[in-house]
Amino acid sequence: MDILLQNFDLVIFLLLAILGYTAGSLAEKRHYRSIIKREKELLKMAVITAEGSFPPSKVKESALVTGSVVVSIDYFKRLLAILRNIFGGRVKSYESLVDRARREAILRMKESAKKQGANMIINMRLETATIGRNANKKKTVGSVEAIAYGTAIIMN
Amino acid sequence: MIMTNVNTVPGKKIVEHFGIVQGSTVRAKHIGRDFMAGLKNLVGGELKGYTELLQDSREEAMRRMEEQAQQMGANAVVNIRFATSSVAQGAAELFAYGTAVRVE
Amino acid sequence: MQFTPKQLVDNINVSKSHPLIELLWLLGGLILLSGLIFFILGITADWAVSKTPIKVETWIGQLALNEFPAEENQSLGEQLQSLLDSLPEESPLHQYNFRIFLSNAEDINAIALPGGNIVVFSGLLELMESENELAMVLAHELGHFAHRDHLSGLGRGLGIAVAATLLFGEESAASSLVSKALLTFQAKYSQDQESAADQFGLDLLTRRYGHAGGAIDFFSRLSEDAGNKLPYLLASHPHPKDRIDALEQHIKEKNYRVKATEPLADKILPETD
Repeated sequence: MDILLQNFDLVIFLLLAILGYTAGSLAEKRHYRSIIKREKELLKMAVITAEGSFPPSKVKESALVTGSVVVSIDYFKRLLAILRNIFGGRVKSYESLVDRARREAILRMKESAKKQGANMIINMRLETATIGRNANKKKTVGSVEAIAYGTAIIMN
Repeated sequence: MIMTNVNTVPGKKIVEHFGIVQGSTVRAKHIGRDFMAGLKNLVGGELKGYTELLQDSREEAMRRMEEQAQQMGANAVVNIRFATSSVAQGAAELFAYGTAVRVE
Repeated sequence: MQFTPKQLVDNINVSKSHPLIELLWLLGGLILLSGLIFFILGITADWAVSKTPIKVETWIGQLALNEFPAEENQSLGEQLQSLLDSLPEESPLHQYNFRIFLSNAEDINAIALPGGNIVVFSGLLELMESENELAMVLAHELGHFAHRDHLSGLGRGLGIAVAATLLFGEESAASSLVSKALLTFQAKYSQDQESAADQFGLDLLTRRYGHAGGAIDFFSRLSEDAGNKLPYLLASHPHPKDRIDALEQHIKEKNYRVKATEPLADKILPETD
């Protein structure tokens, strides 16, 4: 018991890392399941980065659609990234973070396009921002924001 | 695999669209490089270590995007765009996306 | 132009490696790296210490002494002098001009400061029951001077702080992580120093009194309420029980006799004014 009290900050650190690992990987798995499920539902909605040309008679309406999301990294993965920063190389723990953020942003954009009755989205662009400055800086919120935007085409 | 950043592949006709493909990677340099970059910052000039980092990341992002396009059965990616973000201090996130197509 | 929607099964953008395995690799690398840095730092610090003239040391000591509110103590000085008199002729300790101070604080501790200054806390004095015990504590501190631990500890501490800041920047998370790892090595190193100083103290005590009585009395009283050994893994001093074992071993090896101790003539207390 004494050792726990004497190394209090170490214990807190370990607890946070374990909590971050379990809760973080659970949340990530659940998020991926939902992403894949919704991607299948919205598979019919065409999204391209090219402009494409449409004869005026075919297009009823066109509108800008956007989708955005802010995803945060868990304590454990942040620890991994800090360590990785020392040795260099691929920061694997952040790959899933940015991947989830972008796919979620695209999905939300598609969902908003579907609500408007669009058939396809052209000229889609993606942007990322970091709200908490850096995702692994101490005392700031480590997160990634992804924005997807494009032009939704509602056909006749 | 043909890669372009315009709407079409000049001289060819797009016959089929597959949707967007994306490739991304987050990479960091070891602290020795970070330290040298800090020193270089005093006098200015090209940060060779970071140029290399950016180049490696871009190549890997392109490779990953190409692989996705191959999985879809495309033979070209058009309208490619690059984006970067700073998810982590000292690390670069490079992201490439485009539309996978089949051209003839 | 025709649109064929495709769902990707495989996610190429996320590496397929288990995060726990990556953690193990990185932690192993971190330990190796800090060990290496500590090793190099240690060699440089020790080299620098061996080249530092005692004059410079005295100057540093004066600076350090200003941090402690302490009074020079006459009766402690006499105790120390009798120990110094029993040192062999060729001992490097004769180059020092020792001064001993008494600080009115409850810490059970004594410190060796650069330049031959020893600070004893009154909390330690209150626990002393015999003259021999006190002599053992003072001899232990003299051991630190003989091995010049007081300087190398300072040098290493400084080196660790500077190296971590230079490499990782002042306020970064990596910097605090690495300096934590380095300090763990430091604790192990400092425990070795303490044991060496204990041995020196024991030898000097025996020279002074002709027997090793009182060498372990103080530690055995400490060990009664020291409790579990685990918290001592990262402490600067070894567990009292381990110190007793090492001392007893040393007594046996050198065939020192253990006789009855002499009581303290009069309790040495901080001079109140």
